[in-house]
Amino acid sequence: MTCEELIAHLSSYIDHEMDAALVAEVQEHIAHCRNCRVVLDTTQRLIVLVHDEGRRIIPASQRSALFERLQQAFLNRPQTQSQSDQHSSEDSAV
Amino acid sequence: MPGPTIDLTIYENEETLLAGLRRRDPDACACLIKRFAPLVYAQALRLLGDADEAEGVLQQTFIKACEKLDTYEGRSGLGSWLYRIATNEALMHLRQHSPRIDLDDVAETIQADEMPQRLKPWTLDPAAAALNSELRAMLEQALAALPETLRVVFVLRDIQGLSTEETAAALGLGESAVKVRLHRARLRLRELLAAYMQEH
Repeated sequence: MTCEELIAHLSSYIDHEMDAALVAEVQEHIAHCRNCRVVLDTTQRLIVLVHDEGRRIIPASQRSALFERLQQAFLNRPQTQSQSDQHSSEDSAV
Repeated sequence: MPGPTIDLTIYENEETLLAGLRRRDPDACACLIKRFAPLVYAQALRLLGDADEAEGVLQQTFIKACEKLDTYEGRSGLGSWLYRIATNEALMHLRQHSPRIDLDDVAETIQADEMPQRLKPWTLDPAAAALNSELRAMLEQALAALPETLRVVFVLRDIQGLSTEETAAALGLGESAVKVRLHRARLRLRELLAAYMQEH
């Protein structure tokens, strides 16, 4: 396996989507190739890094106005059909 | 004008919060927004790479949530439910406002300029280090620099944790296209972050 071939199949290897025969070839290659070993290791670190990427905080300057708009939209939402039905059945029960 | 001030502990759990929302209790509404808007915004921003568009999707998500609230059964948890609506809204936005697609961005093989150039080990161990604000900013910047076709796949697969199959279905792509785009996105991001990661 050449470096180019290894790089082309790197994600299949990382994601365990590779045939056993190819896995053996990858492992043999990285045992002897420092550069490919670095690329594999750093790509795996990247995946770990982003996996639990935290929540981004909305800039405070935008937050108040945005929350205000969201709240208005929420409170002014139209009645749904099921609510209307419910109300009309309650009305008729009265 | 100050934002709505509210004690987030008024509602003991999601069930009571949901009951408050169905009664149109303003406190419940403020509580929902404060608790979940940052999560929804972050997801929209990662997918869209644009703050204004992300804000639009955030609003759209909560409006959609209002419409569906009475049919929401509460099985998945409010956070997951909103996250899913936000993802769908962002993907719909991308489909409707699809920019000119660069053929290189949808190539189904690795491009010559995507071969790794930076070959030094990283000193920072992400598993041990908490994501600090500087690193997070670097990551967001690198994500935003990816072409949309690669970024969307990367966000759904490696950040959101969807399977290849789920990502393919969400984007209307074949699974092999998802795999190649994910791989290309990883190689590009690795390259973009390497200079920072080698020094910290």
